[in-house]
Amino acid sequence: MAGTDHLSAVFSALADPTRRAILADLAERDATVTELTASLPISMPAVSRHLKVLERATLISRTRSGKWRASHLEAAPLREAADWIERYREFWDSSLTRLDAHLAAVQAAERPRNPTDRDPRPPTETASDHKEP
Amino acid sequence: MHTEVPQIDISRVLDAPRGLVYRAFTDPDHFVAWWGPIGHSLPRTEIEFDVRPGGHQRWTEVSAANPGVRVHVHVDLTDVTDGELLDGLMHVTGRLPDGVEAFETRVRVEFHDEAPGRTRLTIHQWLPQQVTGNAEQGWLEALTTLDAALIDTRTPPSRVEVQ
Repeated sequence: MAGTDHLSAVFSALADPTRRAILADLAERDATVTELTASLPISMPAVSRHLKVLERATLISRTRSGKWRASHLEAAPLREAADWIERYREFWDSSLTRLDAHLAAVQAAERPRNPTDRDPRPPTETASDHKEP
Repeated sequence: MHTEVPQIDISRVLDAPRGLVYRAFTDPDHFVAWWGPIGHSLPRTEIEFDVRPGGHQRWTEVSAANPGVRVHVHVDLTDVTDGELLDGLMHVTGRLPDGVEAFETRVRVEFHDEAPGRTRLTIHQWLPQQVTGNAEQGWLEALTTLDAALIDTRTPPSRVEVQ
């Protein structure tokens, strides 16, 4: 899918710590190459090269106002990447909620054999599996 | 193979003893009752579990909305400690809902006692590497960083573009 290819470009761009530092700077405010270079231990041409990578991945856009060229963080592709991760988290969250319900149902079914409802110990049949504190 | 930080790191306390929670992951009759995704069913005849180091867990997920969508999940278990740990490489193949190609993802589940008679479950998942093509190894770290940044600092309601 095209979406996956685009994600590849995004993740590939994010794979470099300098580029992540640049994005973190741009999350605060738009900035020129000079401003970005001030907070990084690398040269201005190197920063420019990183900006090109970020621009190709559509993580930033660059606007010219007067003689200054400012970089601007584009949040949508970041959001897309985060959503991609989020799908997996949601999978676990909803599955674990059902697991919770399943465990409650199983234990409720076992409860008649174990009338001391508040007793924290597991039913005798599984007690040997556990090292109770 | 995946030594980097996992992208998914979940911890949840369940109100059930550890032996039972472990069975929910390793006994097919329990497993079908809760395993997602929502709207999918797991045909009981297509589940095969052989839980031990070097063993496997295999099942098929059938979409209720579109029975043609059949996802085959094979987990090769690399590390298993009875009642405590399941660690393996999950291979996902078949006709996937969004047409995404097959992928692999490492999943590690740990079961810890939590008083009184409860269980803390920790789940780590390393997301599929192939989705990033030939990206550098560092993308994994990037995902973690990105994830933390987006969740902690600037995602009010999702899908609102942050300027």
